[in-house]
Amino acid sequence: MNDLKILVVDDDPVIRRLLEQRLVKENYEVLLAEDGYVGNDILEKNHVDVVLTDLMMPGDVGGIEVLEFAKNLERDIEVILITAHSSIDTAVEAMKKGASDYLEKPINFTELFLRLEKISTMRSIMRNAEDLRQAMDVTESTAAYTIQNLEMTAGTLQGKLDALEDVLTADNTGDEAKVAKAIEIILKWE
Amino acid sequence: MLKITPAELKSVGKYIHDISGIYLDPSKSYLFETRLGNIAEEHGCSSYEELHLTAKRDGSKRIERQIIDAISTNETLFFRDTGPFDLLKNKLLPEMIDLRAPSSPRLKTNIKIWSAASSTGQELYSVAMTIRDLLGSQLDSYNFRLLGTDISDSVVKQASYGKYNKFEIERGLPKPTLQKHFTLFGDSWKVKDELRGMVNFRKLNLMLPFTGLGKHDIILCRNVAIYFTLQDRKILFNKLADCLADDGYLIIGSTESLTGVCPRFVPKRHLRSIFYQKK
Repeated sequence: MNDLKILVVDDDPVIRRLLEQRLVKENYEVLLAEDGYVGNDILEKNHVDVVLTDLMMPGDVGGIEVLEFAKNLERDIEVILITAHSSIDTAVEAMKKGASDYLEKPINFTELFLRLEKISTMRSIMRNAEDLRQAMDVTESTAAYTIQNLEMTAGTLQGKLDALEDVLTADNTGDEAKVAKAIEIILKWE
Repeated sequence: MLKITPAELKSVGKYIHDISGIYLDPSKSYLFETRLGNIAEEHGCSSYEELHLTAKRDGSKRIERQIIDAISTNETLFFRDTGPFDLLKNKLLPEMIDLRAPSSPRLKTNIKIWSAASSTGQELYSVAMTIRDLLGSQLDSYNFRLLGTDISDSVVKQASYGKYNKFEIERGLPKPTLQKHFTLFGDSWKVKDELRGMVNFRKLNLMLPFTGLGKHDIILCRNVAIYFTLQDRKILFNKLADCLADDGYLIIGSTESLTGVCPRFVPKRHLRSIFYQKK
């Protein structure tokens, strides 16, 4: 079972169906939208890992708008654009806006699956790093608590020793008076 | 990967210590190999000793810089461990603002803060964000000078540029803070000019004598000394004490301790954090 949930946005019913069949066959969970409006609506209501969207679609909501909407909604969502050869420049512009990648039509499925696998691997590495970071945080805060207590204790003890040293090394009083003063200080300790 | 010999562990280890102060455990040969192997290969060296000698002979110090970049750990994030930033916001900054109150209302309050191993800048920008959030529109009556230093040229450069990719940003920065202080720049985020204008970054090797640093009111030196030997830690914190104002504050890493390291500092506790002042 692949762990990515993929939203396909394309106004061409044939491509939509083809993508659905191939992706489901590879065990991906697939959601479908026939245009950008529906695509954005699905994004709002569902958690999606990857958006696979056509760049040029009828209406005001094209692939770029879907990309912007998705990225604004969830920063770590991956968006792959599907583009005709003639609009590669636009696709490159889209990469600057945060698209993960673009695929040229006709879609090469081997290429698509490779990219999805990469995204999946990247996500599991990120998750693993997050786990490690959390483990480190717990270790760190536990250690910090112990160390801080020791540090305060050591600081207090040092302060006491300094006070005794001051009294015992003062040169304007006799030994007996020094000891008496030192005992007086010690008796006041908690 | 090129293998390191026991003799090289000793000589290269000493060389790394000499140029950076970083002590690499010689029992962890993989640390040397994974971090220096590619550099040796790039310069056509067939052994680590050859890399060592090539680096020493290189008058431009380019290889030395590469080695420092490779061995220094730059694990950092925005607001790493919230404790110190709560401490700054709730205690150290308000107190320092009172301590440095100017004699005339027409004068500005001058406060100098130094992040002694600023890595890619997240810590210092987090301090700057804390200050802006604390003072808001009153910020104009203050003159904060925030300095970040690091041994690695490339991280100083990145810190100065103030651009972070989404992975660096997502760690530690809540969305409202992100939108307040950063602008989207392609797939990355760039620190806004007003925040960028508060800070300065420059290269500094903590093992060398400090020159032209002056006295700072607050110094942050978190999770750096852990890579140094006890002897070097003693020297470092003693030098930091020289650079700290008599009533200034020092913040170190939450799992670090100055017991047995620098008797000039006294620990003080506030809520769940510790800071240090000079005796």
